[in-house]
Amino acid sequence: MARTEELLLNVGPQHPSTHGVFRLIVKLDGEVITHAEPVMGYLHRGTEKLAEELTYTQIIPYTDRMDYVSAMTNNYILCHAVETMMGIEVPERAEYLRVIAMELQRIASHLVWWGTYLLDIGAMSPFLYAFREREMIINLFNELCGARLTYFYMRVGGVKWDAPEGWLDKVRNFIPYMREKLEEYDQLVSGNEIFLSRVKGIGKYDAETAIAYGLSGANLRCTGVKRDLRKDQPYSIYDRFTFDVPVREEGDCYARYLIRMEEMRQSLNILEQALEQMPDDGDIMAKIPRVIRPPEGEAYVGIESPRGEIGCYLISRNKPQPYRLKFRRPSFFNLQILPELLKGESMTNLIAILGGIDIVVGEVDC
Amino acid sequence: MKGIAKGLGVTLKNLTRKKVTYAYPDEPIEMPDRFRGVQHFIPEKCIVCNQCAVVCPTQCISLTGKPNPDPTKKVKLIDTFDINFEICILCDLCTEVCPTEAIVMTHNFELASYSRDELFMDKEWLQANNKKVRKENLVKPSRVKKGVK
Amino acid sequence: MTNWFEGSLTWGIFAMFAIWVIVLLLIVLGFVTYAIYYERKVIGWMQGRYGPNRVGPFGLLQTVADILKLLMKEDTIPAKADRVLFKLAPVIAFVPSFAVLAVIPYTETLVFANLNVGLLYFAALSSISTIGILLGGWASNNKYALLGGMRSGAQMISYEIPLIISVAGVILMSGSLNLGDIVKAQGNGFWQWNFIPQIIGFSVFIVASIAELNRTPFDLPEAESELVAGYHVEYSGFRFAFFMLAEYVYVYAIASLTTVLFLGGWKPLFPFLDFIPGIIWFIIKFLFVVFCLFWLRATLPRMRIDQLMGLGWKVLLPLSLANLFITAVVMEWFR
Repeated sequence: MARTEELLLNVGPQHPSTHGVFRLIVKLDGEVITHAEPVMGYLHRGTEKLAEELTYTQIIPYTDRMDYVSAMTNNYILCHAVETMMGIEVPERAEYLRVIAMELQRIASHLVWWGTYLLDIGAMSPFLYAFREREMIINLFNELCGARLTYFYMRVGGVKWDAPEGWLDKVRNFIPYMREKLEEYDQLVSGNEIFLSRVKGIGKYDAETAIAYGLSGANLRCTGVKRDLRKDQPYSIYDRFTFDVPVREEGDCYARYLIRMEEMRQSLNILEQALEQMPDDGDIMAKIPRVIRPPEGEAYVGIESPRGEIGCYLISRNKPQPYRLKFRRPSFFNLQILPELLKGESMTNLIAILGGIDIVVGEVDC
Repeated sequence: MKGIAKGLGVTLKNLTRKKVTYAYPDEPIEMPDRFRGVQHFIPEKCIVCNQCAVVCPTQCISLTGKPNPDPTKKVKLIDTFDINFEICILCDLCTEVCPTEAIVMTHNFELASYSRDELFMDKEWLQANNKKVRKENLVKPSRVKKGVK
Repeated sequence: MTNWFEGSLTWGIFAMFAIWVIVLLLIVLGFVTYAIYYERKVIGWMQGRYGPNRVGPFGLLQTVADILKLLMKEDTIPAKADRVLFKLAPVIAFVPSFAVLAVIPYTETLVFANLNVGLLYFAALSSISTIGILLGGWASNNKYALLGGMRSGAQMISYEIPLIISVAGVILMSGSLNLGDIVKAQGNGFWQWNFIPQIIGFSVFIVASIAELNRTPFDLPEAESELVAGYHVEYSGFRFAFFMLAEYVYVYAIASLTTVLFLGGWKPLFPFLDFIPGIIWFIIKFLFVVFCLFWLRATLPRMRIDQLMGLGWKVLLPLSLANLFITAVVMEWFR
């Protein structure tokens, strides 16, 4: 008698579509997944534990390496946590520089996602187009803070460098260029019938599930929950800008795709306003003590990173080093829903769903 | 089919566009001035204050001093100064704290080597690494202000 | 050349056969070398890159260097693989791909084997390659390879049918299975070529042939982002080169077939351009078809296996049948 067997397949840790070293153990019945178990920790470097031995300024370069696709927001979350605890007032110009850096970073991060997602789905060119535009942002960052990936730009109380001469104009010129390119991206991909058939209705979940799993960012907004920390608990100077929070009801990969594309446009709007409102000169560092020593207590702050709500929970015992530092990494939380989404899907959809969540393994494992 | 046709149009348009790749390594890449590359060390300026070794997040700097041969001067002289580039993350903190600009950043970033041992750079190597030194080293955000103690 | 088939086989004729086979093999290898170069250049340009430009002038020797690298690589066979089948699979994949080239008429006179069932021969042999891919996937004893091989089997079987039926319309119009006669039935000038009256058949043929070639958007058996490399994940060195070779020889074969069946073979675009030799016309049309394949690859994402099956059975098959029916009715009507 014919007997069928389930196939146990190791997807990763070395696999082109797991975006780093992430491993999935899937049970396949034919090409249909019956069970999926994510295995994490291949990129665990113990940032949180290491931080307990380091001063606050020393921790910042470590945060660069958590979510290495969006280092600016990581820089910010730690600085923001310390500033909140110490009650430091950040100078206006520094705040604007931070916002510009973070919004450029959001675009760069979404571009990486867009390119790699399309690469996962099988289209090659979008990846290179996305990296062509990302290269411009990275060059801007390189001029601003002297690094292309691990910026270490923000410091407790401000930023390390003021914008170099002509830099703001370069950002200004970048905005219309990027708008035009986004239009081109839409033409290339958003209406493509094959792409639509690959992502529409795939990886669907509803708002209740999303909230239960603690999803955030585009993964939450695709179910119709309008939550964006830039609007809901404005940090920095985000309350000074008008922008939309794109929301969709479908809850599938296509909704997430459209939301991220729209977020890039909104980031461009924010950039435009920030450049306009920015004071011509001023301090870029607040007056801070030589040794940063937050008062005894604890604080949690959350901001909207490109991947969702990134949080920082800080316990201080009035020492130069934190007593405990904990990061709420959006990639990690967003990944929780994966085993449930994968049940009953095919191997091909696995890639589309995993890519749609937008994880960065450096952040998942931290 | 309309979407596919539009997409084909976009790729065809890009066929004749200017290429965006760099000719690296045939042509070296010019880095902006603030670029953080491998450090240049100037032993004459060093006062062996050990601040760089203390501030380094990865503890990749090790240094020792020797007493000044001139007994009238109290300042120690640098004896050994090593940076381990296996773990150095080029974060800029050492150049930031250095009170005498004895350690500064350069624009050199090519660190690939066949052996890990070659990444352990000593004083002489760092001193010889004097090309393309960063100009703007003086900005020290954490030290400009005095205040809340 | 054709009359050699009619006499008895002497050593002299055998030697001539052998020489022509080697000539064709060299042409095909040359084509494959530069098709890969052409593909990488075209895709590179479309993506804002230069493509290969390091080895030789304009990177012309890049593929040669790649092939040399493959030849020098260690030939590994997984411990748990079925060794006989593992070694056999690349051969089975490659030999038919090369054998089908025999019937392609490049010009009126330049044709290696003027079979009167040329088209059938082509279709029959080309489906053997599937077995090679399936075997390769199975014999590797690798789960990804197995999935890739199975996909390939399913895909090729379901696309073979619309492919053949879509061609049947052309056969009806020209009344012959001989590829040379099919070209002769088309006139000088593009309005007399088969792709206009057979536009449905042409569209179906293009889609089905891309699927047959395992190229984007139908490159599911390889699907590097899901199945890593599909059926040839365990292959290395020369055996891997054979799979690649088979793939590109099929590009050559299908592009030639498209030219012959639908684009008028060696016939000129306009009658007054008659003075340009037929082989030039053939090469131009052929390169255009190859370019379109690469262009699609640079643009489109990959389809899903169930959608691929749906497209094959629910869209292409009825369309090709309808095309056959309409052609037959129209032919009957106007006869």
